[in-house]
Amino acid sequence: MRLNHHRASQLLSAYLDRELGPAETAAVQAHLLDCASCRAAYEGLRTTKELVGQLPVAEPPAGFWAAVRAPWLPRRAGAARIRGVFGRRVAWASAAAVLALALAATPLVKGTIDRLHASEIGVDLYVRQHAQAMGAEPFTDRAYLGLTTGDADLVLSGDAQPAGTAPR
Amino acid sequence: MRGIRAAAALAPALVAALVAAGATLAAPAPPAPPSVDRVLQLALDAPRVIDYEGTKIITAPRNGRTETVTAAEFHKRPNMTRLEYLSPEDVAGRLIVDDGATSWHYEPRLNTAFEGPTMTTGLLRGDLSLLHRNYRVTGLGTEEVIGRQAYVVQLAPNGPGVSRELWIDQATGTVLRTEERDPSRGVVLTTYFSRISFSLNLPTAYFRFRLPAGARVLHLFPTVDEAATPEALGRQAGFTVLVPPVLPEGYTFSGGGISRFGSLTSVNLQYSDGDSLLSLFEAPAGSIGAPAFGQDVRVGGRPARLVDLGYFRVLIWDQRGLHLTAVGTMPTETLLAIAGQLLSGREQALAHSVSRQVAVDPGVVDRLRREGLTFPEITRAVVLSQRLGIDVPTAVRFLQGRLSTAQLAQRAGVTPATLQRGVREALDQASSVGPHLPAH
Repeated sequence: MRLNHHRASQLLSAYLDRELGPAETAAVQAHLLDCASCRAAYEGLRTTKELVGQLPVAEPPAGFWAAVRAPWLPRRAGAARIRGVFGRRVAWASAAAVLALALAATPLVKGTIDRLHASEIGVDLYVRQHAQAMGAEPFTDRAYLGLTTGDADLVLSGDAQPAGTAPR
Repeated sequence: MRGIRAAAALAPALVAALVAAGATLAAPAPPAPPSVDRVLQLALDAPRVIDYEGTKIITAPRNGRTETVTAAEFHKRPNMTRLEYLSPEDVAGRLIVDDGATSWHYEPRLNTAFEGPTMTTGLLRGDLSLLHRNYRVTGLGTEEVIGRQAYVVQLAPNGPGVSRELWIDQATGTVLRTEERDPSRGVVLTTYFSRISFSLNLPTAYFRFRLPAGARVLHLFPTVDEAATPEALGRQAGFTVLVPPVLPEGYTFSGGGISRFGSLTSVNLQYSDGDSLLSLFEAPAGSIGAPAFGQDVRVGGRPARLVDLGYFRVLIWDQRGLHLTAVGTMPTETLLAIAGQLLSGREQALAHSVSRQVAVDPGVVDRLRREGLTFPEITRAVVLSQRLGIDVPTAVRFLQGRLSTAQLAQRAGVTPATLQRGVREALDQASSVGPHLPAH
């Protein structure tokens, strides 16, 4: 199953939440490997979700559940009503502030993730390019170059530990 | 009487000896062995005229230890390669198919293919001028490899770095065995054929990659442009590229490119001495940090990270908002010295010194720096142009191996031998002027 860019970008959120079937999951994974803009969008979504997931659960204002569970009960007049209205406004304002903070922080956090990832795979990425460039030297052994670039490919695809760390 | 009998008894032996002597005199003299330069040229030309398939054994540092890897290697003239890795288990089934334009790596365990640029451009190189200038090429006699007679040739760099020995098949020119020796670590890489077959006409289809059903593909193409200058690459990448001021003698700018992987954009400058390569990668410091592994070292009093992979050494440091990574096979001290020169910030002083010492306009020095040349290269190019009466760009092309000795001799109107003498004298003069990489 192959997905075009438009369809894949629509499925990113569902993919992130593991709501897709196996075939669609594999198709989105394949598209992500090829498409830089979808990878960026996916990372953005993932970061936002992580940030939101870390937020404390806002407690509803006092009396909220009572009002929900017993709507037929007569409401207390005066101070209680004012406290209820004020409390709801505070809750909504808090949620909006948290969302704005999450959106503002997304590029920053994403940049940090990208930087960490680049640090992790940077040596292999550069050794791979160096080995490929060595193919221009006439007496370099190409079977060895193939071995080196192949090992680096596994690191870049996320399947192996970076060179210089634990055995692959 | 006894004397006559004795003479008669000796006669057949005497006749036999005379016949044998006559036969020896009449036999053609054995052909003189070819010169070592001729043998090296034979090895250079071989991939363009012969197909082969064989089993190759590679012994090299891998995963932090020395490993032996076996691969089936197929070559079709002039520059097509197919490699099927057989052992150890973690590489068994790995396939690399290079059709001379694109290199495919397929990993069956992941059902994933990686597409990248060819690794076979060196097989088309026709000239060894750069190598001859920077290496002592010595013939070490002949030896037998898998039952075949082979010339043994040693390539030892004039500067610091890995030396190489090649066992070159007398009949075909194919390199049957290689051995690379690091000055501080001894033999670091050995490859040899345990079996090889020639006289084949391997089908072209065997060197075309067919994507297995359902395989995912990763494209790993840096935009490489051999004609690109660091200045042009910097414009494309959006930052000012740093050019190393001094490299070991003989290393010359051989090209550059830009690679993009995710959000990481890097500029790559390559310097070659005709057999070894130094790559310098530069990226904005904000886009990549130092790896968590490797060894902490200091360059010019500043922190740096060294990752020693056994064969390749990688030095990483930050400078002027850039993250720099040098990759090569040269000794650690040499990599540190190269980084130290970059960090020293002596650009203006060196430019002024070179301009004054070789009596050339500072604008020429500045232009050549922006084209990626180191100060020793600029010195060599200017001295060569002055001595041979050729323009500086032609001298640069010759020094970078993009113009052969024969081609330059034709342009200069001299014999190749005269030209080589002039080049040697010019390079000696340039070498005495400097600047040089500090010795360790």
